Order: sequence, then structure tokens, then C-alpha cells
Amino acid sequence: MSQKQATKLHLIDTDIHERAQYKDLLPYLEQPYKRYITDNHWLQEKHMPYTQPSVAGVDRADARVPDGRPAGSDLSFMQEQLLDPIGHDVGILTGALDPSPSSMHGWYEMATALASAYNDWQIDTWLDQDERLYGSVHIAAQDPQSAVKEIERVGSHPKMVQVLLPIDDQLWGEPFYHPIFEAAERHELMIGMHHNEPPVYYGKWPRYFIEWHTLIPTAHMNIVTNMVFNGVFEKFPRLKLMMIEGGFTHMPFLMRKMDQQYKDLRHEVPWLKRKPSDVIREHMCFTTQPLEEMTKKEFMQVMEQMGSDEIVSFSTDYPHWDYDSPFDALPPGLDEDLKRKLFSENAKAFYPKLKHLRKER
Amino acid sequence: MQEVVCQKDDLQPGEMMESTFGRHSIVVCRSSNGEYYAFMNRCIHQGAPLSKGKLCGAPEPTDNVGEYNFVKEGDILRCPWHGREFDITNKGCMLANEKLKLKDFKVMVEEDNVIVYK
Ligand code: FES
Repeated sequence: MSQKQATKLHLIDTDIHERAQYKDLLPYLEQPYKRYITDNHWLQEKHMPYTQPSVAGVDRADARVPDGRPAGSDLSFMQEQLLDPIGHDVGILTGALDPSPSSMHGWYEMATALASAYNDWQIDTWLDQDERLYGSVHIAAQDPQSAVKEIERVGSHPKMVQVLLPIDDQLWGEPFYHPIFEAAERHELMIGMHHNEPPVYYGKWPRYFIEWHTLIPTAHMNIVTNMVFNGVFEKFPRLKLMMIEGGFTHMPFLMRKMDQQYKDLRHEVPWLKRKPSDVIREHMCFTTQPLEEMTKKEFMQVMEQMGSDEIVSFSTDYPHWDYDSPFDALPPGLDEDLKRKLFSENAKAFYPKLKHLRKER
Repeated sequence: MQEVVCQKDDLQPGEMMESTFGRHSIVVCRSSNGEYYAFMNRCIHQGAPLSKGKLCGAPEPTDNVGEYNFVKEGDILRCPWHGREFDITNKGCMLANEKLKLKDFKVMVEEDNVIVYK
């Protein structure tokens, strides 16, 4: 793809994974937390039993930094491989889920320290270094009080657009976590949710990665359902949720199912005063990747069943192995208007902190 | 056309019964404040006989997550099948979606008779 074609995209890429190596975080960690990494070689718990799902693990094989560092860990290489040639207007950083403070099953003090260190590192290394890059506030959500403090601390940074929550096995819609949403709303931050290691097979790991990876959207469906029926958006009307890396083609089913259930079972959730699908269309957006291969006709059928073409936003998922190319992932022949929405207008409308970009074109 | 569908004393407030109006099976309901209402005895969803459901109350819409204010005891007709809720005192509108409503009939009371008419 030529540079000329590329620069026409005006892309807002809603899912880019920058990666911190633990040693990068040391300057931002206080003692005793620093010591657990330097002396005790602390590593975040990880549970996936699979080895290498693709040529270079979970990364694009060509995205490893030439000096040998892991994919996503170097800004200038990301500029060279992604941002410059594609012509990104904006890239939204979503971390590499390692560390993923909100995924930790204990030691929330360490999780809190890691979240702060990560945010400071993210601001210094990425957000302040490239005007195209925007970030996500990492928190230790298991401890809402400390999470709120962290949101208060960095949430007003003009380039922090959302609070990041992992999709594992926590039901973030429950009232216990609502202080997080209240703080996010106060700072014009949206919520971004990205799966980490959701146990999509009845709480267990299936034998093969292909099984787990196929059913990731079911984990997204769990949390969408949870957020809506727990009344999060009724309580925080300015809050929105970006569902990242789960795709969107499962949503027509889920919206229809939730609407039908609501007619039967409204009495259990009387704080929900409108159709679940209306809540979803008003408060959620879904990133495209990983796109299934579809014809234009099939793609448009899904769009029609979403009931809106304004709640889907393009994402590459760089530098992961299942990266979607902005030039080749969408079906050919989509209308220019729709492409503009997918590539940029929808994300601009979604994130309050991107509103300064709204009137340009 | 008008027809006596039951006697006043057949129903206490909060009770309902099956009856007929012409060829139609209907459900006659008496609300908590003693008024009489009549509807086609066929749920607009999948046709369940509404008279086999329950006249009960319902948690009213609230702004507070986790709060249940159970109101309108005796005024909400819940379908025996999927349990959708219809407010008999509000033209049989479905609580989850007011645009959907039961087919209702006009009712008057003369002496001891409850009369449905068109
Ligand atoms: S038939 Fe009445 S609710 Fe389904």
C-alpha cells in the first residue's frame, strides 16, 4: 500500500498494545515493590496452558524490535512499522495485559503500585513522546478505593481517554465497583475493557488455544450483559464502554436476546427503564478486530442488525499475531461514509477527550 | 353489543376470572381499588390464557440500583407463561414496553352486573 493511499485513512486505531518490560517500571516503583521485582523476580501470574499459538507467540513475527526486545516495547519502531506508514491520526494504547493489575488474585497493594508505575511510564514513554498516542488509565480495580485514587491522580491527563479493565472472571458491573465508574465519569474518561484470560470454558481452560480463542466473544458478552443489567449506565449516564478486541458480530444476537429477556424479567431489574439494546447503542462501542472475513453484503447485514453504524470502531490490535490491516481487513467496496465512521468518526464521537478532533473535517 | 360477564360479587379486589364476551374468551379483573377491567384472554406474546396467570404487584421503575419498591398490588396481570407484566389500570400496557398492550374491552357496572360492551 502506498504512502499516498495510506494518508487518506485518518485512522483512529482503538487498540494498540504497547508493552512494558518490568525493568522499565522500576524507576516508577517505590520500595518495597521495586525490590520484589529486582530481588525476588516477581512475575504476574499467568494461566494460559498453551505455548505458541502462532509464529512468534502472541505477536506478529515482524513486530519484534530489531534489537531483540519484545513487540510493542519501542516507540520509534512502532512509529516506523505502524503509525507512519499507515498514517494514524490517533492510536489508543491499551497495554499488554502484563502487568494487568486488575487481574491479580491477591496482593492488591502490589497491584496498585504497579498500576501507578505503569501509568507514569506510559505517560513519559508514549503519550508525551508522540502526539498521536492516547492512553488508558491502569488501576487495581479489586480495591476500588485505591483505584479511585489512581484515577484522581492521572485521570485528568489530557491524553488519558479511558480507564482500562480486564475481562477475566470479575463482574465489574456490580455495585462494589461503581466508585470506579463514578470517578471515571468525573474525569471524562470512558471505560475500555479488554480480555486478559477469561475462563470461557465453564471456568476452565479447553484443551486447545483455538477453542479458547474462538470463544473470547462469549467473555465479552458476559460483561456486556453484566454492565447493562447491573444498571451502570442508568447510574452514570455520561459513561460509555469500549469493548476492545472482541469484535462486534456477536452483538446482534445478544441485543435481541437481552431485549426479549427484559420483557419477561424486567421485574428483577427495575432500575433498567429501557430496552437493553437501547442502552448498548447509547453507551457502548465495539472495536472491529479480529474481523471475520465477510463479503460487503454480509458485513452490511450485521451492521443493519446492530441497529447503528456508529457503535463500531476500527482497531488493528498491533502488534499481535491476529493484527487487522486497515487496508485489507474490511470487505472491499464499503461506502466511503461508512469507512469514515469506522476509521475515525465513531471513535471521535465516543471519547470526550478526542472532541477537539471532531470538527476538523 | 353488550353482555353480562360476571356478578360484582364474583370478584374481590385483586382477583380475576375467565368469562366470555360473544365468541371471545376474556379475563375480567378487579383492581385493588375495586374497579373492573376486561381483556382478551390471550396474551399478546404467544397466546397464553391470561386468566391462569396472577394478579399481583410489581417493582416500580427506580433510579436506584438494587432497590425494589413493590407497588400496585392487585393491579398487575402477569402472564402464566413467560411472566410479562401488564398494568390492568393502564389499558393493559406492558411494563417493559408501554407501546405494547393487551386488547381491552369497555366495562360498566349496573346494579350487581359487570357488563362488557362495544
Ligand atoms: S405468552 Fe404471555 S408472556 Fe409469553
